[in-house]
Amino acid sequence: MRIFHPYIRKYGKWFSVAIFFLMVESASDLLLPTIMARMVDDGVTERNLHEVLRLGGWMLLVTAIGALGATIRNLIASRVSQRFGTDVRSDLFRRIQSFTFGSIDKFERPSLMTRITNDVTQVQNFVNGLMRIFVKAPLICIGSLIMAVHLNPRLAVVLLVVVPIVGLLIFFNMKTGFPLFAKVQAALDRMNGATREYLSGVRVVKAFHRFEHESEKFARANDEYRLRATAAARVMATFSPGVMLTVNFGIAAILWLGGQRVNAGQMQVGDILAFIHYMTQILFSLLMISFVFNMFVRAKASAERIGEVFAENGRMEQAPPSGNRAGNAAKIEFDRVTFSYEGASGDPVLRDVSFACMPGETIGIIGSTGAGKTTLVSLIPRFYDATSGTVLIDGVDVRTLDPSLLRRKIAVVPQKSVLFTGTIENNIRWGKEDASMEEIAEAARMAQAEPFVLSFPEGYAARLGQGGVNLSGGQKQRLSIARALVRKPDILILDDSTSAVDTATETRIKEALKAYAQGITCLVIAQRITSVIDADRIVVLDDGRISGIGSHERLLESCRAYQEIFRSQIGKEAKADVPSAQ
Amino acid sequence: MSQAPNNPSAASARPAAGPGIGGFGGGHPGRGGPVAKPKDWKTTLRRLWSYFGKEKALLAFIFAMVLADSAITLAGPYLIGVAIDSMSPEGGYVDFTRLEIALIALVSAYATDGALTFAQGWLMAGVSQRMVMSLRRALFAKIQKLPLRFFDTRSHGELMSRLSNDIDNVSTTVAQAVVQAMTGSISILGALAMMLYLSPLLTLASLITVPAVFLLTKTIARKTGPLFKEQQVRLGVLNGHVEETISGIHIVKAFNREQEVIREFDAINEELCRVGIQAQIRSGFLMPIMNVIGNLGFAAIAITGAWLAVESLITVGVIASFLSYSRQFVRPLNDLANTFNLLQSGIAGAERVFEVLDEEEEPADRPEAVPLDRPDGHVRFERVDFGYRPDVPILRDISFEAPAGSSTALVGPTGAGKTTIVNLLTRFYDVTGGSIRIDGRDIRDYTLDSLRRCFGIVLQDTYLFSGTIKENIGYGKPDATDGEIREAASMAGAEAFIRRLPNGYDTVLSENGGNLSQGQRQLLAIARVFLAKPSILILDEATSSIDTRTELQIQEALLQAMKGRTSFIIAHRLNTIREADRIMVIDQGQIVEQGSHDELMARQGVYYGMFMNQFGHLESAAGH
Repeated sequence: MRIFHPYIRKYGKWFSVAIFFLMVESASDLLLPTIMARMVDDGVTERNLHEVLRLGGWMLLVTAIGALGATIRNLIASRVSQRFGTDVRSDLFRRIQSFTFGSIDKFERPSLMTRITNDVTQVQNFVNGLMRIFVKAPLICIGSLIMAVHLNPRLAVVLLVVVPIVGLLIFFNMKTGFPLFAKVQAALDRMNGATREYLSGVRVVKAFHRFEHESEKFARANDEYRLRATAAARVMATFSPGVMLTVNFGIAAILWLGGQRVNAGQMQVGDILAFIHYMTQILFSLLMISFVFNMFVRAKASAERIGEVFAENGRMEQAPPSGNRAGNAAKIEFDRVTFSYEGASGDPVLRDVSFACMPGETIGIIGSTGAGKTTLVSLIPRFYDATSGTVLIDGVDVRTLDPSLLRRKIAVVPQKSVLFTGTIENNIRWGKEDASMEEIAEAARMAQAEPFVLSFPEGYAARLGQGGVNLSGGQKQRLSIARALVRKPDILILDDSTSAVDTATETRIKEALKAYAQGITCLVIAQRITSVIDADRIVVLDDGRISGIGSHERLLESCRAYQEIFRSQIGKEAKADVPSAQ
Repeated sequence: MSQAPNNPSAASARPAAGPGIGGFGGGHPGRGGPVAKPKDWKTTLRRLWSYFGKEKALLAFIFAMVLADSAITLAGPYLIGVAIDSMSPEGGYVDFTRLEIALIALVSAYATDGALTFAQGWLMAGVSQRMVMSLRRALFAKIQKLPLRFFDTRSHGELMSRLSNDIDNVSTTVAQAVVQAMTGSISILGALAMMLYLSPLLTLASLITVPAVFLLTKTIARKTGPLFKEQQVRLGVLNGHVEETISGIHIVKAFNREQEVIREFDAINEELCRVGIQAQIRSGFLMPIMNVIGNLGFAAIAITGAWLAVESLITVGVIASFLSYSRQFVRPLNDLANTFNLLQSGIAGAERVFEVLDEEEEPADRPEAVPLDRPDGHVRFERVDFGYRPDVPILRDISFEAPAGSSTALVGPTGAGKTTIVNLLTRFYDVTGGSIRIDGRDIRDYTLDSLRRCFGIVLQDTYLFSGTIKENIGYGKPDATDGEIREAASMAGAEAFIRRLPNGYDTVLSENGGNLSQGQRQLLAIARVFLAKPSILILDEATSSIDTRTELQIQEALLQAMKGRTSFIIAHRLNTIREADRIMVIDQGQIVEQGSHDELMARQGVYYGMFMNQFGHLESAAGH
């Protein structure tokens, strides 16, 4: 747990202070029974009212000190644990923000989210618990043992029997209980999985009328969960009475042995009272300790998951800058680029790709699903780095450029539009921090987003829900285009970004882009040939390789893959080859 | 989060014999969020009770055990007092007969208590889990009978939480809260009675702390409640931000927004921290305060008791009994508040579950409904009106006829109502006006089950289930042979990629087929329909995610499948529907044009415009 060292250094002092006050609190709890024993033996037995009152005063004082300790401890513990959690969360978030896409893919996004939310909370709760009860339990346990032995070593023999039995019970409980609870959790996950799947596939289930099949699947998971949950609950049902019974028999034994010693004049009645009291304190602290173990196991798992994120060396490597910084006009070159998501050993998605894109040129990229189109363009802003070969901008290897400076020159419209909670204006402003309202409206107009934006009563100040849930797919795409356009980048990348927009609107967007893209290097990925037909040149990707580059006409003459795509879209081939429906 | 009851606070809630301890009682305040308030206790509880079915007798037996056990537990402290009193305070003399009798009684009381607790816990685990299982089963069965409307208007997350969290809450309520509430109240009443019997004066002294307990828990709860609610809200905001920025991290990075996003996160995080500290401190006081009050009570009894003993008004044994009775009195009081919260959230959970159970189901078959078996597939819409919400009409006065074996294409802008027509045909929804007839009979006069069996649907978003590829293709026909499955796959053009997979047809797909490309998933969905050999085929944007070359390859297969079947095709790409017998252009819920491709092109209307928009360039480009 090396990753937690900085936090220990930062909060260790206050943590220790909290523990100190926790000890004060425990000591006060521990002293009370002894004072009471003295009260009974010296006060009541001797019929000495003065002594009773004097010890009573002590009792109240000890209680007051304990209360003071608890108050201070609470103030410190609450602050330390919350600040600690806040720090870990913040550092974790920063860390993730600095990750390369490779690292992010490795962890998968949902898992990163749980780590930053649930796992941190889990660890934070444990740290908080440490300063509240977890440390107190062993303190009370050991303290009570010491006090009991001190009170009467002979009677403590009973403890010698009772404590190991309880310890054994706890041990067996954990040994059988922990795996059981893990199994319960697994069964629960399976059951939830069955339900989730049913909910997402409800149309298919209904369409194929497979209710019985789904019910059976669910019933199996449900039944399995019940059996396991029952078994786990029964372990607990055996455990608690077992511990209780052991301790209760211990109390009876103390009364019996104590009675004999009192008879022999070797012990006083008050001691027996105190002894019984310590006995129960030990019992409850032992129970608490078993609970602490349980918490510890969970917190440890969470801490490990957090540690993995910190341990990931996710920063982008940056070679020392060679030559001049990239200038204004952007020429993009791919020089024998090969790329695989799994690194050098993996199955390459791009193979030996070479082409150049002149400043101000518009390049269309076309190819089947999975041909590597999106991968190709994500090498330009250094979302990923080429496995071999180089990507150059204005003759400079992108690996020598600071990603954040590089990305400042580029605007991307992704395939799947991603918007964020906030106003429409804020979302467009992502492209350019200091954009004027006029610039924002201008970009929205070009993206054909203005009509629907103005249809909201609040216009540009209309708020979007998380991920822009209140917009249709086409509207999201148009905002996402506006966000890229407001940036006035040197390089504009459009990744199949009008798929949800109807054809008429798409045409208008293209018109607007044509004027806008003067002097901007533009890469346009598309499914439909019509979307790229006007490009200066079209790159045809097929299974990670370039199978043709050139204008529409040239490709139509020379590139087989392009011809196939063309025919599939024009529908002429379909008419000729495929027999009619009747 | 949901775990079987494995926390010792459940155990510590049981009154322990002997003087209690200061410290661990009172559960763990400050863990849960705000407690949802149930609306109608009585009805919900009565309904919950009905789910115990045959187990009611067993449950009553368990409750009887709990009652008996609580009574027996009360004897403990009294017997300890008797045992103590058998010893003379001055020492040197012990009445052993009395001590023995007291101890024998004590040991048998403890043994009975242990046995009863064990039996009760053991049986209860079975009963509550069985009950929850049947509740869960009922809920799942219900969900299958719900119309699609229900799923379309609710988020899956919310439904999931009803099926898991809420039901778990119910199970905790049953297992813990009820038993705790029972033992708690008996302990309180019993302890009070015993204390009054032993010494009214000392009772008075030990009750001094009770109002303080009430007052303090009340004030603290009032303060912490809203704080925890706020903490929960802040946590929600933080989770939302994390979810958004991590799932959209490529955009964050592409637009250099890392610093801003971190700043936002820090602000939210800081706010959460501030509220968290407040909530933690407030709630953190509860336990120490209870502890102090407990210790004060201890001191009060010790001092008053000792004084009374000095005055010979009571014996030392009475002090011993009192110390534990007062604990038995105070701790359950404290627990009862927790139990009440637990019960509240359990009942509220049950209510949310019952809400689903009370949802309107898909309409039952009409009494005169007949099964639809191998229809010719003559489909007729007669003046159909429909809206998902009564105030927003989607389809208006739609009438058309699709002769048996013909193919009909539906085109038009998004939101025009194309998918709605399919939803009505398959009775995922029912028309609000007009009627739909298959082979001349209103589809509402067929049994729903037989009606749906006649359709083969390939949907816009394909859905695959976790399982093998074979199972997924065979989903529509459970008794399909391997040969049939292979044939269907090759007809759909899926054979090639399936063979390339390491385990072929036995490749296990992860949930929703995450390990396949969108196009491959769609091919499997098409194969699934081929296998089912339906009378009426519906392709709703079936090939939208497949690239145009692959699409061309399966086009033939699709045409093959359409042969002799009434089919409906919805498509954005117009080239995929040129071959249809009839094309209907839908806009704003109405049919604006219909006819064959050539007819519509000749008319130079809406369809012509759409087509030229998509293909104008290409047609002219192909020309030269």
